[in-house]
Amino acid sequence: MRRRAGVGAIQRQKIQQDKFKEKGSEIQENQLEQMTLQMEKFREHLEDFAAKHKNEIKKNPQFRKQFQEMCASIGVDPLASGKGFWCEMLGVGDFYYELGVQVVELCVATSHRNGGVLSLDEVLLRLNHRRRPDNQISSDDIVRAVKKLRVLGSGMEVVATGSSQFIYSIPGELSMDHTALLQHAESVVHLTVASAASALGWSQERVSRALDHLLRVGVAWRDDQDRPPSFWFPAFFQQCATAAE
Amino acid sequence: MTEFEWPWQYSFPPFFTLQVNADVRKTQLDAWCALVTSWGKQGGVTQIDVTEASDLAVFKNASIHRALPPDGIQVVLEELVRRGNLEWTDKTKRRGYLLWRSAGEWGTQIYKWAQGSSRINTVCTLYELAHGDETADQEFHNLDGDILLKALRTLEASGKAELMDFGDNQGVKFL
Repeated sequence: MRRRAGVGAIQRQKIQQDKFKEKGSEIQENQLEQMTLQMEKFREHLEDFAAKHKNEIKKNPQFRKQFQEMCASIGVDPLASGKGFWCEMLGVGDFYYELGVQVVELCVATSHRNGGVLSLDEVLLRLNHRRRPDNQISSDDIVRAVKKLRVLGSGMEVVATGSSQFIYSIPGELSMDHTALLQHAESVVHLTVASAASALGWSQERVSRALDHLLRVGVAWRDDQDRPPSFWFPAFFQQCATAAE
Repeated sequence: MTEFEWPWQYSFPPFFTLQVNADVRKTQLDAWCALVTSWGKQGGVTQIDVTEASDLAVFKNASIHRALPPDGIQVVLEELVRRGNLEWTDKTKRRGYLLWRSAGEWGTQIYKWAQGSSRINTVCTLYELAHGDETADQEFHNLDGDILLKALRTLEASGKAELMDFGDNQGVKFL
């Protein structure tokens, strides 16, 4: 028969456990210290890098995107505030705010014909048209700028569809159904109640309800000379997107 | 004459269906009025006959099999009247003068030309104004006689011109 553990044994065990714990946290601390050191170094390098390639970051959209991704991987958001090293160094905060304002202006200027829905391609086309060839922007820039605007409660949203993206700036939130219908519309350009119902797997009533809303806010147009009536979206109509402002 | 450049709306099928939404319809009528006036300007169309309007190229686009229905044409014409770009020839409202510039705008332009060519206090015949060599480079050259008269009447009303009748010909004195 085994001897039961005595008080001494229990105490010994406890001391052992404490020792283990101590060692464990020591190792952890060491690791953390090293990590912090590494991150610090990485940050430094990133700052050096940013300073060195300031102009390229400002001018080259591809470069800018990769730089943003690099920053995000270490939890630095150069856009987070208007102050601080990153903004002073790069002026990128201003860059995106200014871009955001331009996007809003474009939405307002074209809303009478598209009801506040703009394809990202059109935004890109129109904004780059005004910019110098060595100062072009990418769709990534526009998406970032619009996301920044959200803090202002601007009600602007970027919606991704299968093939591309569009921006909507319609007062009042779009429901899931409206968004889904718009996504579908973007890919087919025009639709009928029946065609949308079968494509989305909805009942025709559900499509009609969503369409009624889109007609009411001026995003959709109805064509009665089609049998059955079809619905069109200026925002997704090629000739409208490329027409002179 | 160069080919008329149709706006994007002309190939947008629902443009030929009057929209129910009030805001959208306003945008649509803006576009229709701009289209009809610029089309008239380009093609030198000065009058529109309501009964024949549906045959005009501007109101139908065969390539997309769309045409503005008669009641739609009526709404567009009424809107043009409201904006001063169309004036009915008489009360039956069956024909209208298409003014891609309003009579007042034409008047201002003619008066500017008169000032520029030092014709203040001299008399011109209406024929000279519309078809004379000296106005060949002016936009109002070959302007429809009735519209020219309307334009000069607006000048007369503001005391800048005086219309005169020479029996078979009419003249105007710029003041």
